[in-house]
Amino acid sequence: MSGASIAAIAQSACTARDRPVSFLSLSPADAADIEAIAARIIPTTDTPGASEAGVVHFFDRAFAKEMKERLNEVLEGLAGLNAAIDDNGRFAGLSPDAQDARLREIETSDFFGLVREMTIFGFFAMSEYGGNKDHVGWELVGFQGHNGGWEYPFGYYDAEAEGGGNDGE
Amino acid sequence: MANSPPFDLRKPVDFAIIGSGSAGGILAKELSTAGFEVVVFEQGPYRKTSDFGHDELSTVFRHELNGDIGAQTFRHNENETAVAQPQPPAEYAQTVGGSSAHFTANFWRFREVDFRERSLLGPISGTNFSDWPISYEELEPYYTKVDWEIGVSGAPGPNDAPRSKPFPMPPMPVKSSGVLLERGANKLGLTAQPEPHAILTQPYNGRPACIKCGYCMWFGCEVGAKSSTLAAMIPLAEASGNCEIRAESAVFRIETDKRGRASEVLYYDAAGNEKAQKTRAVIVCANGAETPRLLLMSASERQPDGLANSSGFVGRNLMLNAHVAVNAVFEEPLNDYKGVQVTRIVHDFYECDESRGFYGGGGIDARPLWSTTPILHSMLGMPPDVPTWGAAWKNEIAHNFTRQMSIVGSTTSLAQDSNNITLDPVATDHWGRPGLRMTYMDHDDDIAMGRFLEQRAMELAEAAGSVKFWPFENLPTTGGPHLLGTCRMGEDPATSVVDRDHRSHDIPNLFICDGSSFVTSGRGQPTMTIMALAFRAADKIKAAAAAGTI
Repeated sequence: MSGASIAAIAQSACTARDRPVSFLSLSPADAADIEAIAARIIPTTDTPGASEAGVVHFFDRAFAKEMKERLNEVLEGLAGLNAAIDDNGRFAGLSPDAQDARLREIETSDFFGLVREMTIFGFFAMSEYGGNKDHVGWELVGFQGHNGGWEYPFGYYDAEAEGGGNDGE
Repeated sequence: MANSPPFDLRKPVDFAIIGSGSAGGILAKELSTAGFEVVVFEQGPYRKTSDFGHDELSTVFRHELNGDIGAQTFRHNENETAVAQPQPPAEYAQTVGGSSAHFTANFWRFREVDFRERSLLGPISGTNFSDWPISYEELEPYYTKVDWEIGVSGAPGPNDAPRSKPFPMPPMPVKSSGVLLERGANKLGLTAQPEPHAILTQPYNGRPACIKCGYCMWFGCEVGAKSSTLAAMIPLAEASGNCEIRAESAVFRIETDKRGRASEVLYYDAAGNEKAQKTRAVIVCANGAETPRLLLMSASERQPDGLANSSGFVGRNLMLNAHVAVNAVFEEPLNDYKGVQVTRIVHDFYECDESRGFYGGGGIDARPLWSTTPILHSMLGMPPDVPTWGAAWKNEIAHNFTRQMSIVGSTTSLAQDSNNITLDPVATDHWGRPGLRMTYMDHDDDIAMGRFLEQRAMELAEAAGSVKFWPFENLPTTGGPHLLGTCRMGEDPATSVVDRDHRSHDIPNLFICDGSSFVTSGRGQPTMTIMALAFRAADKIKAAAAAGTI
């Protein structure tokens, strides 16, 4: 298979992930709420956040596979979150400031703890798990990914020491 | 040899070894290459070097190598009900090679003082603080054997115990964390020395040198440069034609015959079926948590308190080494996620100093620790004055990941009756075996030593030029990978489980060799000593077999 055709397949896979016909485990409304919570935990600033990393797809995939048994807990958490919102509104429809205020009310709950943990997983775990799209999580922190091995110097201080003739031997 | 692997279950083999880790892998190699028939039981699967990767989520957070962690429970004292934990209290790998496959590979020898500190310092009330029945001098040839047989890189430090041969290869080049620790140590009048590793810096015995991928701690080595028994010993054992590695085989009982001798190993195979292997002798190398668990599970009418437990010391005296950490951020990038964890250590506080007002000693190192991988960094590496979500938190993660390291202290642990492994009365594992219950509370002196090292680590961080540093709260200890002391060796059958040659005081053809054999805890890196004990035990067992005394 040529490099170009692999790239084409990879591109179409990404496109499919960008516009899923349907989620594997989540309803579109629940997915929108999860995406909105994740986007307040790791917001988009001058750098990409949870939305750009496709963190919601990590949740969706996990609830269809390894974390199936946690789905109900999260759906109940979302129901609780939305119950306090006026006029049958949903979390995803609130302004970012209102979302932050609502999350601060529940930030010590098990539900928030789980969603926060899964947001971190979805932002940084290998892309095979559904999130960390185009490795935006790794790029944000300066983690250069998995290239097999690395060569010295690794950082500023060992380079500086090497320059001074101290190579650690 | 008349028989060859796979061995017939009904024909007794010479040795059934339970556990394929640091001790079991070495005993398997030594005994099989000496011509004995050996079956090694490993409850985990037979992962090969090429099966290991860099998946942080599955390895660190879903405990892929740790097995059935729901069957482990923890409590601080016997008045509490032990409960399952998100992290396994006994942190060991269920895979061929055991924890030597996933350990960080920091590799210190013990010193003379570790073996005879009780004589030097006197008793400590309320503890089982004792001397070892063997000395450093007696173990030294076996430390050297470990260096040269499994492959150890390093350079001698100013206060190391004497060695009869140099390291077979040079140490890892220094990383930024090591440069900074050394900078701090020099300012404070302390000494930073290169860290020895059970990781190759040069090709050795057909294995490649480290490629510096950064996935040592908790991960299996994908090239076989880490000197696990999986990479260094088990291939030699299998090549002997006398050794069968029986993976996915979970032992639940050692059976004894009418004469009170170990005769059979009962286990669940991969399909969950009960099987029994007849054997002439048993060597338990299942680690300091699983070894006492198995002996307690093997209770019978003849041995109502558990096998080899006439002393009552099976499971007692658990020592975990307390750990402290100070996280430190620097102005420029360290990129310390690359390469091995540790390249410099400070051993100025190794010896006990009675002027401190408490017993203990320890070592200090610098390593990425919580900044090894991005998820760990986000979950555990953030300073306490930053919110736990939102833009400010995100910016801190992004800024610090490449600029952060930890200065880590590890301490002695005192042997106490109240720190132990017992069978959980409720929890069971997926095979139906009683769960592993850990009861543990650091001795006051262990905590004091931890706090002392934490203070030294704060001073080192400041002297190294850290722009921001803070302690990571890790005391009291709630588990760990160093599982020591639970079937201690000793001359007196009333206060120890095995003799100086690892033979059970109660059962002449039952040997126990792993971290459970330890009498004292050392200063925080036990695996080198486990491996040295295993090479020594192999020589003693071969001699006993030759003399017909097993």
